[in-house]
Amino acid sequence: MWIIIVGFIAGILIGILSPFTLPVAYARYLSIAVLAALDTTFGGLRASLEGTYDNTIFITGFFTNVLLAAGLVYLGDRIGVENLYLAGVVAMGIRMFQNLGIIRRLVLQRWGFFQRDEETLSHHGLQD
Amino acid sequence: MTTQLRRMPWATALVGVALGLMLSMQFKVQRQVALADLAAVQRTEELVAQLASAEALRDELAAEVEFLRQQQLISVKTQNEYQALAERLEQAQIHAGLLPLQGPGVTVVMADSVLPATPGENANNFIIHDEDVLRVINELQAAGAEAIAINGQRVTGRTEIRCTGPVVTINGVRTAPPLNIVAIGNPDELERAITMKGGVAESLRYWGIQVSVKKEAVVRVPAYTARLRLDYAQPILEEVAP
Repeated sequence: MWIIIVGFIAGILIGILSPFTLPVAYARYLSIAVLAALDTTFGGLRASLEGTYDNTIFITGFFTNVLLAAGLVYLGDRIGVENLYLAGVVAMGIRMFQNLGIIRRLVLQRWGFFQRDEETLSHHGLQD
Repeated sequence: MTTQLRRMPWATALVGVALGLMLSMQFKVQRQVALADLAAVQRTEELVAQLASAEALRDELAAEVEFLRQQQLISVKTQNEYQALAERLEQAQIHAGLLPLQGPGVTVVMADSVLPATPGENANNFIIHDEDVLRVINELQAAGAEAIAINGQRVTGRTEIRCTGPVVTINGVRTAPPLNIVAIGNPDELERAITMKGGVAESLRYWGIQVSVKKEAVVRVPAYTARLRLDYAQPILEEVAP
């Protein structure tokens, strides 16, 4: 866990301190890629709280999702459906909110603020 | 989790680095985009202000040129030995449209359609275009108009009449409907040229564009004040010489 946070801080520092900025033309690709990265990260956090975390799946999922999301924007541009990226935004946005909701419940439950409720957990497919 | 993390610590760290790098890069790019938008707006405002002041200066100078031209004519006329020359100068200036003129004629007012455009119809058909103005001017010229002005802009051989967006540009000056066209000439003939059956007024009325003609005892046509300088044309002097 700590190694990800250390890497995250290092990445932010590299990004801010480096004189290089991405050309504005690629900003659309990066924005969707960032969304996919955040989505995967929250998914990984949820999995680790549930105890189903797998490092290989997380790492490969992170990079493939990022590339697929940017590829979706590229494909949309090529086939003339420039709003194709909205499909990714909607799908990942919904999943991010769902994952954040589950993470909140799991954290509250772990700290004892939340009574274990089999019905709610089964609703999210969280039975263990 | 911890045991699995130990297996690939570098790959896991790389995920963090990638996430941080992408986020910070995206923030930087977005800030750049916002700044660029702001700069474009400021630049536009600056240019609009510059254009307005340049146009005001141009109008001021044009008025001064007109005043000086009349002064020149008056001063040449008062000296007897130049009388013949002055008359030729006056004639030349009248033909070039450089003097304000008055005489009997007509005023033609063209206004955009008052008909409500029903959905599905092209709204462009209901507003005045450069072509409509040109047709009216053409009819007036054909009927022997000696001087024509549109909204204070004298029509000469170098006058352009063209649509620039929602307005019409004449002599480089933007003007908007209703267009007030004054023409000096035989009032009856000029009026008939516009209102004749199957003529320009009738065909424009189909779209609801209003063309009204009024005969006048005296109309005033201002002088041409736009650009006069010739950069390319040269007189052919040997043919003029005896």
